[in-house]
Amino acid sequence: MSGSLLIQDARTQKRHAAERRFRTYGLLAISLAMAALLWLLLSIFSQGMPAFRQTFLTFPVTLDAAVLDQEANRNPAEMAKITTIFYGKHLARALADEITALGIATGTMTAKDIGAMISEQSAADLRDRVLADPGLIGTTISFTALANGRIDGYYKGRVSMASAAKDKNTSPAKLALADKLRAAGVLTIDFNLGFLTRPDASDKRPEAAGLGIAVVGSLYMMLVVLVLALPIAVGTAVYLEEFAPRNRWSDLIEVNISNLAAVPSIVYGILGLALFINFGGLPRSAPIVGGLVLVLLTLPRIIIPTRAALKAVPPSIRDAALAIGASRLQTVTHHVLPLAMPGILTGTIIGLAQALGESAPLLLIGMVAFVRDFPAAPPAGLFDPAAALPVQIYNWTQRGDPGFVERASGAIIVLLVFLLVMNAVAIYLRRKYERRW
Amino acid sequence: MKDTNKIEARRVQVHYGQNHALRDVDVDILDKTVTAFIGPSGCGKSTFLRCLNRMNDTIPTCRVQGLITMDGEDIYDARVDPVQLRARVGMVFQKPNPFPKSIYDNVAYGPKIHGLARNKAELDEMVELAIRKAALWNEVKDRMQAPGTSLSGGQQQRLCIARAIATSPEVLLMDEPCSALDPIATAQIEELIDDLRAQFCVVIVTHSMQQAARVSQRTAFFHLGSLVEYGETGQIFTNPRDPRTESYITGRIG
Repeated sequence: MSGSLLIQDARTQKRHAAERRFRTYGLLAISLAMAALLWLLLSIFSQGMPAFRQTFLTFPVTLDAAVLDQEANRNPAEMAKITTIFYGKHLARALADEITALGIATGTMTAKDIGAMISEQSAADLRDRVLADPGLIGTTISFTALANGRIDGYYKGRVSMASAAKDKNTSPAKLALADKLRAAGVLTIDFNLGFLTRPDASDKRPEAAGLGIAVVGSLYMMLVVLVLALPIAVGTAVYLEEFAPRNRWSDLIEVNISNLAAVPSIVYGILGLALFINFGGLPRSAPIVGGLVLVLLTLPRIIIPTRAALKAVPPSIRDAALAIGASRLQTVTHHVLPLAMPGILTGTIIGLAQALGESAPLLLIGMVAFVRDFPAAPPAGLFDPAAALPVQIYNWTQRGDPGFVERASGAIIVLLVFLLVMNAVAIYLRRKYERRW
Repeated sequence: MKDTNKIEARRVQVHYGQNHALRDVDVDILDKTVTAFIGPSGCGKSTFLRCLNRMNDTIPTCRVQGLITMDGEDIYDARVDPVQLRARVGMVFQKPNPFPKSIYDNVAYGPKIHGLARNKAELDEMVELAIRKAALWNEVKDRMQAPGTSLSGGQQQRLCIARAIATSPEVLLMDEPCSALDPIATAQIEELIDDLRAQFCVVIVTHSMQQAARVSQRTAFFHLGSLVEYGETGQIFTNPRDPRTESYITGRIG
């Protein structure tokens, strides 16, 4: 039964159809995934990018000695008695004076209304600046204040004249004045460095909220994870792979390590709470505790790829070293580990990246606390309260002011950039030390 | 020194788990001689070779019984450190397995870990000598820092021989050293083996009876885990005593 080769029989046609169907499903799945990714990135970037721009008000402020240093002795302890509220009024007056000097009509707006255009945070900033440098008293400085969140939102499209009319925190008159100030060059929109360097701010001040402490906290935790998890995990993997006898116990350990990698991360949070805080007596909200929890979480995730990398080193290399008379440890340290290094480093960086994005266990050990003071330099700073990037994102999405939605999306962008950089490093290392046997 | 026994094996048994791989092997291996182990696949010749430098120790299920002595000392004595033994019994494997390091580092590794060289100059000398003995010097002297894996298969195998003899072993074990090589590289290695005989006790496992006939002075024929016949190479190939040996060398079994 042989027909012409030029005519496909029914069986062949069916097989081809099946293949075409499979390809279509594959393409469809990939398209869906790409569309979802695109949607995610678009929504995050459109909401988050404004967080990197900020509305500022720049105007001269005269730091009157008679008002700010009533004892006239530049004694910081005495000067500290003057409160932020007082500085706030001072700032409001300075801005009102500037507006009068520029000849801009303010209508029925009072100095208090004008002052409400400045962020409450700026008064505290000015006070900190004066207390840090009492020599400023008696001079006139050009002060850059943060604009109030509503004014900031007006220029980012969150607030409109219509919504301002119904908003007790702002008014159409303030927005109109803001437009005039912008034309006069007092109000500017610039890169928001403060978003990366400032600490978190309270619910009423989204314009002043920054990621500074969260970034520092996350870096400290990554430091703890790297310093503890990498050597322990690599040591464990080398022992299990190269030295441990193959028996029921090593099988049991192996199965359990694989299972640990699949344990929900929040469970590690409870473990950390019980072990490090309740039993170990370590402070809450501290990067050291967060780091230790993440170490527990990351260990199996580094051990497994490290073992795979060790397994991938051809046995002929081990034979060669052993046959020359290298001891087993020499065989491992001189030959096997260097060859497995790219795999180990890739696994470690991926493990670190996962740890960086972990929020649930950190919530349980109190890293969701509101922290205003930067932790000290390590190692002491590891015991100071701090925040973490993913927890900060979670925290901001819980706040009422729409300004925080923008901040949260901006923080997601920062987190994604961190993860992207780490993955790029992993890819670079893998390429650089491509297998050489 | 000829005709002194370097290695003596008595009633050697090897088990891999339940599998009795080698039974009752008695062999005397002469110093400064090339001894060939021949036999069909799975006959135990490589297993026996790996007993001689205790490479079988790395296989967890492997058990070796019986007595193997080198210069009259039991190499399976509890006091013997296999690491020290392997410094005196070098090995070359079937597939060339240079380290993914430079040619120089490949050869210098043995002397380095055994502390044989007092300084860099001495080490350089040892490396050069080993590579010269392996008949590789003229081909690699200008690129000692090139990776060992960049060499051709035959060159890689000679590099492995250089690496094995750099520690000045007394015995050199070769496990089918030419099976992955082309005929020209094979001829080079065989010539090299003949030169090495002047200095080392060489034991070679081979699939090729022609190779055994060409390079060895003594030949042992293994079959199904037993040593069938052992004697002068010429005698084994021209006048075998055992009918199984005859069947194998005439191509009826194996």
